[in-house]
Amino acid sequence: MTAVLLENVSRAFGATLAVDRVNLKVEAGEFLTLLGPSGCGKTTTLRMIAGLEQNTTGRITIGNTVVSDADRSIFVAAERRRLGMVFQSYAIWPHMTVFDNVAYPLRIRRRPADEIKQRVMRTLDLVEMQKYAERPAPALSGGQQQRVAIARALVFEPEVLLLDEPLSNLDARLRTQTGDEFRKLQKRLGITSLYVTHDQEEAMALSDRVVVMEGGKILQVGSPEEIYQRPGSRSVAAFFGSPNLLDAEVTASQPADAGYFRLDVAGRNWRGHCQAASRISPGTRVGVLVRPECIALTARDATADADSIRWDGRVKEMIFRGSRRSIAVETAAQVLRVEAPSQQPVAVGDSVTLTTSARTAWAIES
Amino acid sequence: MSEQTAGRLAVRRDEGTHMLDRLRALLRGRNLAVLALILLLAFLTVYPLSMLLYGSLHSTPPGTAGSFNLEGYRQIMTAHNAVVLLNTIGISFAKTIPSLVVAIFLAWIIARTDTPCRGVLEVMITLPFFVPPILTAMAWGMLGNLQVGLINQTWKAITGSETSPINVYSYGGVIWHMSQYTTTFLFLFLVDAFRAMDPALEEASRMCGASRWTTFRKITLFLLLPVLTSGVMLSFIRGIESFESPLFFGTPAGIKVISTEIYDLITQRAVPEYQSATALSFVILGLMLLLVVWQWTVLRGKSFQTVTGKGFNPGVVRLGAWRWATFAFCLLFFFVTTVLPVGQLAVGSFFQFFGFYGWDMLTLDHYRAVLGDSEFWRATRNTMMLGLVGATATMVLGSIVAYISIRTTWRGRRLIDAMAWLPWMMPGIVLAIGFLWGFAMLPAQIPIYGTVWALFLAYLALGTPVSVRVMSGAYAQLSFDLEECSRVHGATFFQTLTRILVALAWPAFAVGWVLAFFGIMRELSASIMLYTTGSEVLSVVLVKRWVNGLAEEVSVIGLMMMALVIVFRWVQLAVIKRRISTL
Ligand SMILES: Nc1ncnc2c1ncn2[C@@H]1O[C@H](COP(=O)(O)OP(=O)(O)OP(=O)(O)O)[C@@H](O)[C@H]1O
Ligand SMILES: [Mg+2]
Repeated sequence: MTAVLLENVSRAFGATLAVDRVNLKVEAGEFLTLLGPSGCGKTTTLRMIAGLEQNTTGRITIGNTVVSDADRSIFVAAERRRLGMVFQSYAIWPHMTVFDNVAYPLRIRRRPADEIKQRVMRTLDLVEMQKYAERPAPALSGGQQQRVAIARALVFEPEVLLLDEPLSNLDARLRTQTGDEFRKLQKRLGITSLYVTHDQEEAMALSDRVVVMEGGKILQVGSPEEIYQRPGSRSVAAFFGSPNLLDAEVTASQPADAGYFRLDVAGRNWRGHCQAASRISPGTRVGVLVRPECIALTARDATADADSIRWDGRVKEMIFRGSRRSIAVETAAQVLRVEAPSQQPVAVGDSVTLTTSARTAWAIES
Repeated sequence: MSEQTAGRLAVRRDEGTHMLDRLRALLRGRNLAVLALILLLAFLTVYPLSMLLYGSLHSTPPGTAGSFNLEGYRQIMTAHNAVVLLNTIGISFAKTIPSLVVAIFLAWIIARTDTPCRGVLEVMITLPFFVPPILTAMAWGMLGNLQVGLINQTWKAITGSETSPINVYSYGGVIWHMSQYTTTFLFLFLVDAFRAMDPALEEASRMCGASRWTTFRKITLFLLLPVLTSGVMLSFIRGIESFESPLFFGTPAGIKVISTEIYDLITQRAVPEYQSATALSFVILGLMLLLVVWQWTVLRGKSFQTVTGKGFNPGVVRLGAWRWATFAFCLLFFFVTTVLPVGQLAVGSFFQFFGFYGWDMLTLDHYRAVLGDSEFWRATRNTMMLGLVGATATMVLGSIVAYISIRTTWRGRRLIDAMAWLPWMMPGIVLAIGFLWGFAMLPAQIPIYGTVWALFLAYLALGTPVSVRVMSGAYAQLSFDLEECSRVHGATFFQTLTRILVALAWPAFAVGWVLAFFGIMRELSASIMLYTTGSEVLSVVLVKRWVNGLAEEVSVIGLMMMALVIVFRWVQLAVIKRRISTL
């Protein structure tokens, strides 16, 4: 079942197009993340679904109801969409206690007092905030406020939960911990969640699917693995870490397993195989993506097996980072970045051989 | 030890003692400066206050021999004064409530809706704050005149009725006139609070299923509560002090409040009753003290810091066609509070007799009369001189006091701060009476009374609390790092003060200067007690002519002052772009 459907949705602020003809389908129970650089229109997209911002073109459907259609002048107000939302600033009302904050949606819906008490306490229990119920809201830490905000959004059991960078105000350690806890909770309740972040690691760790946006447009939608290992374009590839992109020319192309294609490519002073999403005719120039952590570094002249690509070079820079070493190797093709295990003994100036499995190399059409 | 080394050591020691001496001298200089400041402030605030006490116990007017008794306090214990006290409190309360409702509405329109031309409307709405109340009081006195007032005339012409619907000489008139100023004042207070609020707090409520109206009642108003409370209290306190409105609209109808009662006791009796007037001043001081203490206890620790998220302010409500209704409301407010009184002044100044408007009555005689009058020119000179010098002095004093109390840990800074704040709870007329006693007690070699310096000192004392607040606000926003960074990079204390602090705080200084200038221009209650022939100011001249029934010349002078206000306000907005402070 589809929980949220966006068809051709745009939003213009004067001359700037913050969101540009977005099409998106969110399945029920799914955890979907909108990811992209600052100013790419994530918040605007979320706010249009919430009803806090009106789309200038297109149609938004939640469940079976059209909540906004620019052509037919349909617009359901935010309060009648029955969505839960967690704001970046948490928006915990400072003049109320924790209990009152969480009880607010139920009081608005005029539920009986004992039901309110019971449901609020149950929800607070869910986020492990039961013992803070009577605290005034300003007397909470950032992490606790964030839990209260989630409890408030969950208490009336909304169909869809919207979260706008809910973790960005927490410190790094708390961020991972709270994120993981929230993901567990979301799985347990099976609640459809739309999550906005500009932190790629957070997006990877939490989501079922990731939507990568840039300049108001959707670049790619897919599972975290797919987006990371098989990006559809250079910008998506460049958004995650600092990948190696090598120029190469396709010499042959044939179907491989799982609907992908296997290419023979030749670059400057190297050749090998890689995978691609579609058939690419020989002679085309492509970029071959090799993630730094997929490259193995050995002493010069180790023999490589047939299914790997190989470059010879000299270590140019080396940074020891504790859990690993970041190494830059000068090769005939270009400088390649390598993430190596930290116990590997390497020194600047060493002659080395780099190899990578052809299964991890991915071709991107320019 | 070789001779050379010994010599070098001696030089070193010499340098050391030099440094110490310089340090000591500096410290001594600083202590002297602080002491001088304390003496100045004491003369401006503590001295008149203690002279009030002295005067209330003294049987004869200032400067004459007499005995000490409690007659003054005994005389004011009357049923009449109980009514006066109730009037004072009641009127102050009654004007606050409607002003608050209108101010909230206006602030919401300007800060939170898509009403067209909000920027211009905001400037128009805030104008009455800068207009001397004496001008609007006189204009409304003409507009609402029972027989010949424009409003009543128009009403009669339209309906053909014989009765006049409006009489400004009533409780209603007093409250109506006070509300115009209070509404703007509260508006200035609220509009920034509305703007500073994190819109996510309201959006969260809407996402929880609450409608806009429910959100406004349950969230917005509560978030504004601390600001609302302090605004209401300030409005109440200013209401107790108010002088012009009850003088113009209350006194003719026999409605007295404490400030006008004090005024009457001194100026309207065959023998001025200084002792009871001074005793009554103490009553109002006591009342103010209670209010201020109440304000402190209520507001302590009550500020909701709203964390603002990043990004745009999307809290604008789209009103659809209703935005023209809100637009019209703002225009109506501007029309009633500014256009109508200014229009009346303009009309009044060109017709031969106030109240009779025909083509054959048009004349420029009143302009000629006013411009040919030496008293008018003298008052204009005095007002401008006092305004320029007084505002500058007030701001310099305020800057120094604020600097010492916010930025240093010097001894005596608490005392300085407290003394500078003292006039905050002294209505102008009370301070003026304190000075009257004070000047009379000075040795004859220091003749202050009877010169413009009497007015200057009163203005300086009255303006200082506001200037200190404006400047403390500015200093508090500048981080200490800026100052310390400059010191580390080799600038001396005074270089730092002038190069960094003054350079960064000058916008606040300019805003405060204009406020102080307006404050001096509109001051009436202290001026009217302290002026003598030769040291009149414009507001006093206006009252004198009004009392003599010269409404036409009053219109001319009023119109000129109005022009001055508008020019200054325009300069303020144009030069100090959009830094309206809330006091
Ligand atoms: N109220 C507004 N008025 C004008 N332009 C706006 C408004 N809100 C957003 N924009 C513009 O729309 C674009 C998208 O903004 P949006 O807030 O959706 O970005 P975002 O992806 O959430 O960025 P961030 O990660 O910084 O939160 C930006 O270029 C922004 O300048
Ligand atoms: Mg955003």
